Amino acid sequence: MKKLYTLLAVLLVAALLLPACAPAEADCSSEDVFCVGLVTDVGKINDKSFNQSAWEGVQRAEKELGAKIQYIETADSKDYDKNIATFADENYDVIVTVGFGMGEATVKAAGLYPNVKFIGVDQFQAAETPGVVGLNFPEDNAGFLVGALAAMMSKSHKIGAVCGTDVVPPVWRFGEGYKAGAAYADGMMGTTTEVFVVYHSDVGFDKTFTDPEWGAATAKSMMDQGADAIFGCGGITGNGAITAAAQAGAYAIGVDTDQYLTLPEAAPRMLSSAMKLITPGVFDLIKAAKEGNFPVGNYFGAAGYAPFHDLDSEVPANVKAEMEKINAGLLDGSIKTNVPPVKP
Amino acid sequence: MQADTSSDLPSKGFLRSALDAMLVPFLAILTAVVLGGIIIAVVRGNPFLAYYGLIQGSFGSAKALSETAVWATPYIFAGLAVALAFKGGLFNIGAEGQLALGATVSALIGYALPDWLGFDLPAIIHLPLTILVGVAGGAFWAAIVGFLKAYTGGHEVINTIMMNYIALNTISYLLNGPMKDRDPNNVIARTPLIAESARMPEIFEGLRVHWGFVLALLTAFVIWWLLNKTTLGFEIRMVGANPDAAKYAGINVKRTIIVTMTLSGLLAGMAGALEVTGLNFRHELGFSIGYGFDAIAIALLGKSHPLGVVLASILFAAMRNGATRMQFLTQLPVDLISVLQALILLFVAADAIIRYLYGIKTKGERVVLTRGWGG
Amino acid sequence: MDLRRFGFILLIIIVLFGLVVFIGQVKSPPIVIITSMMATTIAVATPLTLGALAGVFCERAGVVNIGIEGMMLSSAFFGWLSAIYMFHVFGFPVGVSIWTGVLFAILSGMLMGLLLAVLSITYKVDQIIGGTVINILAVGLTGFLNRQLFFGRGSVFGGNVPNSPGVLPTLHVPVTEIFSPLCHSAECLQVVTSINKVFDQKPVAISAILLVFIAHYILFYTRWGLRARAVGEHPKAADTVGINVFKMRYASVIIGGGLAGLAGAYFTIESVPSFEPLLTNGRGFISLAAMIFGNWTPIGAWTAALVFGASQALNINMQLFRDVIPPQLAILQQSYVVGLIPYILTMIILTGIIGRTTPPAADGVPYEK
Repeated sequence: MKKLYTLLAVLLVAALLLPACAPAEADCSSEDVFCVGLVTDVGKINDKSFNQSAWEGVQRAEKELGAKIQYIETADSKDYDKNIATFADENYDVIVTVGFGMGEATVKAAGLYPNVKFIGVDQFQAAETPGVVGLNFPEDNAGFLVGALAAMMSKSHKIGAVCGTDVVPPVWRFGEGYKAGAAYADGMMGTTTEVFVVYHSDVGFDKTFTDPEWGAATAKSMMDQGADAIFGCGGITGNGAITAAAQAGAYAIGVDTDQYLTLPEAAPRMLSSAMKLITPGVFDLIKAAKEGNFPVGNYFGAAGYAPFHDLDSEVPANVKAEMEKINAGLLDGSIKTNVPPVKP
Repeated sequence: MQADTSSDLPSKGFLRSALDAMLVPFLAILTAVVLGGIIIAVVRGNPFLAYYGLIQGSFGSAKALSETAVWATPYIFAGLAVALAFKGGLFNIGAEGQLALGATVSALIGYALPDWLGFDLPAIIHLPLTILVGVAGGAFWAAIVGFLKAYTGGHEVINTIMMNYIALNTISYLLNGPMKDRDPNNVIARTPLIAESARMPEIFEGLRVHWGFVLALLTAFVIWWLLNKTTLGFEIRMVGANPDAAKYAGINVKRTIIVTMTLSGLLAGMAGALEVTGLNFRHELGFSIGYGFDAIAIALLGKSHPLGVVLASILFAAMRNGATRMQFLTQLPVDLISVLQALILLFVAADAIIRYLYGIKTKGERVVLTRGWGG
Repeated sequence: MDLRRFGFILLIIIVLFGLVVFIGQVKSPPIVIITSMMATTIAVATPLTLGALAGVFCERAGVVNIGIEGMMLSSAFFGWLSAIYMFHVFGFPVGVSIWTGVLFAILSGMLMGLLLAVLSITYKVDQIIGGTVINILAVGLTGFLNRQLFFGRGSVFGGNVPNSPGVLPTLHVPVTEIFSPLCHSAECLQVVTSINKVFDQKPVAISAILLVFIAHYILFYTRWGLRARAVGEHPKAADTVGINVFKMRYASVIIGGGLAGLAGAYFTIESVPSFEPLLTNGRGFISLAAMIFGNWTPIGAWTAALVFGASQALNINMQLFRDVIPPQLAILQQSYVVGLIPYILTMIILTGIIGRTTPPAADGVPYEK
């Protein structure tokens, strides 16, 4: 009897499941509904790194432009096409795809859905495709700036950078820019700074960005060798390095956003951050799409260095002046990082 | 596939035995779904909408069905690989590495062979060759482990884990270096595209499902036939059930272990080769690593029976595939799928819980899937 | 553990260290390199040691534990979560919150151990399946909760991950303070301060080393240990002399879970104060390898974990010294190739060249009365 009752109960639940209500929601195909969808690269939307920054840009579009927004997390690279199509089939107006890995899928989708505007974050467009804009950043400039800063501030003349995998071009540009910046500062100040740059090479791309324990171990190793400024460039892995550096009293340098604000544990020793302003970049492009002046090809977002915050008093005036000069030089092109866009 | 289930339980009719065999897994899935629904409700999600999305996204349209089949293809092969090893008393955690290695060498033959030869090959030769080399790669990788197990007693669980890391490290090196796509626009660690002559033809235009899926179903049947109707299959099962008895019965246990492991790796390599020739047309450094581990769950869920593996693969594929639609509708995290899968596995494994819940009598015989480390 | 194997492991570590000193000497003095390598080795080895000890306890009593990875992951999450709750929601001071986090990490490890015990001992589910269930469950549960609690609409902390109260403090050993007055040269001072870095460790790292010896003592020199091993070797015989096989196995598996839990605490409460999905990154499986590498003995497992630590240290240092690697050793620039070393070593060990590994006789076999 027990079996019968339980089976009945189960069938009841199953029956409830079947005629599930089709969702009644705002229709993106209508003219007055502006819909923005975001597809993450393999990784989480709350990665405190580029997926999240891009999503914050989309959220800003919800607040300021009244957009209807939604995201899909990609669990496997073979779902890229399907995830993009899920939004496109629902007549979304703008689709943001995050990460260089989705570049090809984005271009392909633009061919299939000519009415949709695509924003590809970190996707360099070698050729123009109608409806696609690649949002790129001069990461080498940002790396250059903090590299110069670290070299000027280091007392031991040894500095380090702990990065995600160099297979990802933006990460590589951060790391190489850092080296170039340190060399530039050396030339200016007449010092010789030893730069350790270590890229994490694990068997999965995603793992190289989500291994804080490795980041911390590597940073400690560098500090044991005398380094007194550590640049963490590579998502969560970098965060581990930054936190370890701050705990040991070395200068910590963040990446992507002003990490003084996102890594409170390291804030007291946070010298600066190599910033890559994804959130405003994504928002500006969404706004352009809404206003009908959506660009094609490549759009370069801003990169720079974050304020010194708590350590402001420790940074000498001449260093501050030099930093502003270098920043201006990079912007007007009189200083070049000489870092190619892609690892040769 | 009629004789399939009935051969396991020869005393009952086919229908009755099939129902019996499927009752517990079915109830396990149902229980997991209900529990999962409760979890969704607790975190203020809408379980009905979530499951609706899951079903719509996996079976709701031709495209959805095609994508489910795309996911199911490697699952079936990798699941069969693990299941076959289970039958032989071996635990192959290394399907992941065997699959990746198979895919890599398959891609190499796919793009480089015409260059090496200096002329284009007809598809009738190039395609089978590309698949065969991939299959051989997987088989070789597993055979090493089988050999070590047979002759040194090195346990296959640890050795396959180690071989996974070795394979993935080596492939990372190859795809970042010697085998990297030299196209100036390429920044990703991946091989060049394989030649047209090494690609599988489409089944339906515009859908990604490829002949690999059909091949997977056929292979499942072949494996069932091999295990139940051939001497080799009997030896594998005998060694799996009781190696000492097998030895006294005159079976060459060492040889059987190596053969089982090789066949298992062969199937995993096949999964990799078909991903390359049927779907991606290249090998790309895996963003996520997971087929090998999903395959273990699939083999367990399918009770190591080829038909069970096919069904379990389709279930897992549907869940992975439908997750996109579920996310789109509810914004619930994809990890929910892993929770559901773990619950299903838990209830299938600990079927005593299900039997108790639904008042089903216990069967006499218990299926032993694996044994411990013992030599 | 037999001496031959110990010697072999020692030799590997010396070779790895020697290689780095040889290459790096143009950049850093040997003592700095050696102490830095030692510090990295100990840091990397800590979770591996604890994970391997967890394996030793379970398997000595006859339960194969392939779920160490999942146990570590879930306890890393729940330990971190409880520290955050204690700090932000209940307003406890930092120290209390952190230590509560450690406690909860251990407890959730024990809970996972209990799950494995219920499945494999009571329900006699195949032990490897039980472990696989734990692994998948841990991935799903931590990923799901991490998202639902901290991100998105209606999440507990309004969409922001609150910062963790912090990490465990370093326990300073006053090597420098004691020995520096004896120094009369800069070199000597450098040696002393460098060595100090090896001794300054955090609580979990220290307890991992202590636990190795405690576990060794318990397993091989106490009545309880004898009983646990008897249950793992000859459960029938143990039963006939009045040992409660089920109780012993339950206890061992739960202790093992607690050890894996402490390893979890290492990740989110000692090393870095944040949780990330999948942050254990396969270290549970490496622990398993370390356990077998060390022939199911605590000290052996520890030395094996040190080998894994030393090869990780080699890998990091090869990148630091990338530009001074001599051309004939250029292969060492390839971190993927260097990364292969520990796995190949493990396989060599398993072939039995330097002594066979012998698991407990009843390991993996459910006990039927």
